[in-house]
Amino acid sequence: MTENPKKPGPIAEMLAPVAGFGVTFANLFRPVVTEQYPFEKVPTKPRYHGRHQLNRYPDGLEKCIGCELCAWACPADAIYVEGGDNADLPEGAHVSPGERYGRVYQINYLRCIFCGLCIEACPTRALTMTNDYELAGPTREGMIFEKDDLLAPLREGMLAGPHPMVEGTEDLEYYRGEITGPTQAQVDWVRERRPDDASLDAAAKATVAAPDANGGTR
Amino acid sequence: MSNETAPSGFLLTTVEDFAGWARKSSIWPVTFGLACCAIEMMAAGASRFDLARYGMEVFRASPRQADLMIVAGRVSQKMAPIVRQVYDQMAEPKWVLSMGVCASSGGMFNNYAIVQGVDHVVPVDIYLPGCPPRPEMLINAINELQRQMQKEPLLTHRREVVKAVEAAALEATPTHQMKGLLR
Amino acid sequence: MTTTTDSQTPVAVDPNLVTVTIDGIETAVPKGTLIIRAAEEIGIAIPRFCDHPLLKPVGACRQCLVDVAMPDREGNVRPMPKPQPSCAMEVSPGMVVHTQKTSAVAAKAQHGVMELLLINHPLDCPTCDKGGECPLQNQALSDGRATSRFTDVKRTFAKPLKISTQILLDRERCILCQRCTRFSKEIAGDQFIDLQKRGASQQIGRFDEDVLGFAPLGDATVGPAAEDESGRAFASYWSGNTVQICPVGALTSAAYRFRSRPFDLVSTEAVAEHDANGSAIRIDHRRGTVMRRLAGDDPVVNEEWISDKDRFAFHWQTAPDRLTHPLVRDRAEDGTRGELRTASWAEALEVAATALAAARDAGGVGVLPGGRLTIEDAYAYGKLARTALGTNDIDHRARPASAEEESFLGHAVAGHGIDVTFGDLEKAPAVLLVGFEPEEEGGIVFLRLRKGTQAGRTRVWSLAPFATRGLERLDGTLVPTAPGLESEVVDALATGTDEPSLAALREALGAQGALVLVGERLASVPGSLSAVLRLTAATGARLAWIPRRIGERAGVEMGTLPGLLPGGRPVSDAAARVDIAAAWDVTELPTAPGRDTDGILAALAARELRGVVVGGVELGDLTDPVAARAALEAADVVVSLEVRASEVTDLADVVLPVAPPAEKSGSYLNWEGRVRAFRQALESHALPDHRVLDELARHLGTDLGARDGNVLRKEIDQLGAWDGERVAAPATEAVAPAAVAPGTAVLASWHLQLDAGRGQDGEPFLAGTARKAVARLSAATAEAAGVADGGVLRVSTGAGRIELPAVVTDMPDHVVWLPTNSPGSAVRAALGVLPGAVVQITAGTVTTTEEA
Repeated sequence: MTENPKKPGPIAEMLAPVAGFGVTFANLFRPVVTEQYPFEKVPTKPRYHGRHQLNRYPDGLEKCIGCELCAWACPADAIYVEGGDNADLPEGAHVSPGERYGRVYQINYLRCIFCGLCIEACPTRALTMTNDYELAGPTREGMIFEKDDLLAPLREGMLAGPHPMVEGTEDLEYYRGEITGPTQAQVDWVRERRPDDASLDAAAKATVAAPDANGGTR
Repeated sequence: MSNETAPSGFLLTTVEDFAGWARKSSIWPVTFGLACCAIEMMAAGASRFDLARYGMEVFRASPRQADLMIVAGRVSQKMAPIVRQVYDQMAEPKWVLSMGVCASSGGMFNNYAIVQGVDHVVPVDIYLPGCPPRPEMLINAINELQRQMQKEPLLTHRREVVKAVEAAALEATPTHQMKGLLR
Repeated sequence: MTTTTDSQTPVAVDPNLVTVTIDGIETAVPKGTLIIRAAEEIGIAIPRFCDHPLLKPVGACRQCLVDVAMPDREGNVRPMPKPQPSCAMEVSPGMVVHTQKTSAVAAKAQHGVMELLLINHPLDCPTCDKGGECPLQNQALSDGRATSRFTDVKRTFAKPLKISTQILLDRERCILCQRCTRFSKEIAGDQFIDLQKRGASQQIGRFDEDVLGFAPLGDATVGPAAEDESGRAFASYWSGNTVQICPVGALTSAAYRFRSRPFDLVSTEAVAEHDANGSAIRIDHRRGTVMRRLAGDDPVVNEEWISDKDRFAFHWQTAPDRLTHPLVRDRAEDGTRGELRTASWAEALEVAATALAAARDAGGVGVLPGGRLTIEDAYAYGKLARTALGTNDIDHRARPASAEEESFLGHAVAGHGIDVTFGDLEKAPAVLLVGFEPEEEGGIVFLRLRKGTQAGRTRVWSLAPFATRGLERLDGTLVPTAPGLESEVVDALATGTDEPSLAALREALGAQGALVLVGERLASVPGSLSAVLRLTAATGARLAWIPRRIGERAGVEMGTLPGLLPGGRPVSDAAARVDIAAAWDVTELPTAPGRDTDGILAALAARELRGVVVGGVELGDLTDPVAARAALEAADVVVSLEVRASEVTDLADVVLPVAPPAEKSGSYLNWEGRVRAFRQALESHALPDHRVLDELARHLGTDLGARDGNVLRKEIDQLGAWDGERVAAPATEAVAPAAVAPGTAVLASWHLQLDAGRGQDGEPFLAGTARKAVARLSAATAEAAGVADGGVLRVSTGAGRIELPAVVTDMPDHVVWLPTNSPGSAVRAALGVLPGAVVQITAGTVTTTEEA
């Protein structure tokens, strides 16, 4: 105010009214930053917190054991889980390995804040987050995703549940990742009871041997 | 065209299509940032996401010149009447986009201070989850809304649709009787 | 500082107090206190698993190890060489204790114990029902090591093991604290599980060789396989308590398996509705659905135990036949009943009020409130009958009842406040049970009596045809009494007798604090209650009447008996009537003597009464279900206040739905006379009885003032006690027992705790722990009837027959016992007779057809 250290010269003073256009013109030659979103989707960062997904083991059984720890961890009370007993299923079928499975699983996306605490709480890595963010919808009920909406689709070679666990294994073999695909016995079991199951053919081609019974320890 | 006499059928559907196209192609949102979601909304308007691509860059300060209210952020009990007033001041046709979980359902603020969903106050046309939703999500929601606008019925057709919707709503199970669903 | 003498003067001047120092804090506790309790007193928590304040110390889990030092003979405080279990060691003068908070030794010991406990633990907390409320989980976090050094193979078992239909045992999770076996042994006395094997193979198991796979291995179980008639192990009425006290998830219940988590449960303190004790319970509910019930902690009533019925039987409240809307039935001109249709409250109340008013004017209306009453409900029923309906025809006793019993209740029970208490039960030197089977009919009364007998304070005598398992576990003495002869035996006791066993009993009853407990069954034995009053007068023993239903005492106190007004005021007393009339703001109360339940039903059948208001009454519980049905059919109007559709609903003209206990607030009155208030657990639109009655009375043009339960309670409190004359003691003559012809026997019968009652509907796991219905008779009687032990016995009357497996029991000849209302044995409905009647007994046909 009192002392301007650099008083502009007369030329600078003359060009001052158009100096602003310099910025404009300079930017004309820079690359366009605008993303053409719906047409070109810029990938998110790999760890972006998007819609949830309930994962499966390679033989197609669900990883979720209905323990409700995700519901407990949720700060927004957006998750609702009811457990079920695999022993109540007919003929030794299992939805998930072990005793318990998630019978009801709901996430209310109008409460969920995508904080990821549920993912941290999940003891079986059943619940993870995808990078999918296109979730808008016209109704509130529609924004409550049921288990069917959240379950990961069967990958090629997975056998749709419910079906028995891999013979001679317990839940610990599943947790340790020793199950690499459906076994012939599982495929036969499903073929006998649900011959029209869409996943049968691919699973039949992808069968693996059950892990060595002696290798598994508890 | 009088509301009473307008015919339905081929002509009207074409008119509906045209009106819908016109409406969706230049939505003017009302400036209504309530909380953190508003930052993402502003980002959506800025050059990287550039809502101007949809003719939407003019966020109007006056509700009378706006078609769309983007409720961006949590609505406190004290704010609710103002939200309603702004909505009432907007001219028909008008739409509401509930941006973010707080506006949609109260989100993580399940407490006495926050309205548990702005649909308690104004009718919401599209809900957008996220905390806050990234600008792409907002644009995605706007695209969804545009699809709705395109198919917006007019005149007698509209009244039929409204009647049908109301009848369905009367038949529907009340939320408090729904079993197993989160509320 | 200034007064150095202070620190030298012992703080404990009371010789019964012992001064110890725990973590540097000096405290004085009574002699015999365990270290762990003394530490609790001053707010120091020592981790523990096996320790339970109501069980004897055992020191099984070693989790509570602390460093202890004690003065030796010279007075030098010397530390003990090893840490000591604080749950099993009593304090001694001058003891210095260092817990894990101040002693590295104790902390290290506890960490080590925790690590050892977790070695074979499967760590399956996410699937375990105890996860989230598990002491092992919590203490592993607070007092355990962060990581395990264990790398070997864990011991595994098949799981879960069903030790009964309700109780599931997971031996992998078990830490062998023995809380369950100690509860079974010390508290319930029906020990079906115990420790088996040794060392690393040690495990909890039941005495069933097949389950544990012992038989092929050639191992022998410790004891012989103890089984009851059901043939199932652990068929205990108290098994649910072991689930609650299990500090890990080793014992879980099938009913609650994988239902929810503690963190999404909302808990409400409540009172159990299944027996007359009013046990404190905790209702855990999630999103408006009750998930489970746990025992509450109420030292004066149920301590920390409840029966399995109180714990597991709650689905009846939300059964599919639950009534949600008022229903109205239109009648044709000739009175034939049409179909029930849903109606609004306004319409249903209007229809009910109009029809009741017409019936009242045409002859009269009776009121049968039933036995589920809260104080408020009972009071409202009584007030409705005596004001709006202008009658004394009201009786809540939905069971065999008599005028003698009514006089007995008016004389010895009503208006007496809290007399004999649970505390008196465990302290009484002698207890005589007359017409009362504590385990089957008394619920938690049994555990209190057993506590007394186990402590060696109490001796129990029972007047019954045979010694039940419950009586055996009370170490009780049976006074073999054929049904109908109770009055004779009691009179013999009252007047004195030479018979040595009775003389000993008579003398015991003369002791200070001796008790006579009578059950509601005595109402069907003429003269017995009169005799009991003579006995208590002669011996000075105190008397307690223990009914089966929670609402009975409230009904007696609130005047839902024909001859009683609230507070034990006799209807026949003009001053009492004036008293109540003034309080109710009416000019006068009806004076005509009222009818009891059987009287009301008979009057309905005879068209002397034209209408009836029915509360929670099951026709099958009444003396003669067939006649009761006919009586309701004959009525011009039947107004039913019910939670669920019942037989009465089928005959009702107006059905008004009322709230089950979980959906209303109120207060029960237990057999002691103790008010057991409870809050509403679930949000609900259902109305309590008193509220519905208030609306009904309003439509009849009377204000009951019963809309608000709190206002009602205030009104009841203001009525106060009655200081005038009581109802005179009954003096009914005993009836000579019927002659028993060959091929016949006298029927004895009582309810089993778990039976076919509608309160246990929807509980398959609980039903599996019930005792199998059997017919009992003596060897001679069985032989005369041509039935072998285990064969099928047919018991028949003109009305019908019951066929059950016969169990030869040590009991008087010519007596046959049947459970009153068990599956396959609905005595009143099938036989149409009451205990004491003569029935035909023959060999059944079921086995012969099977053989053929």
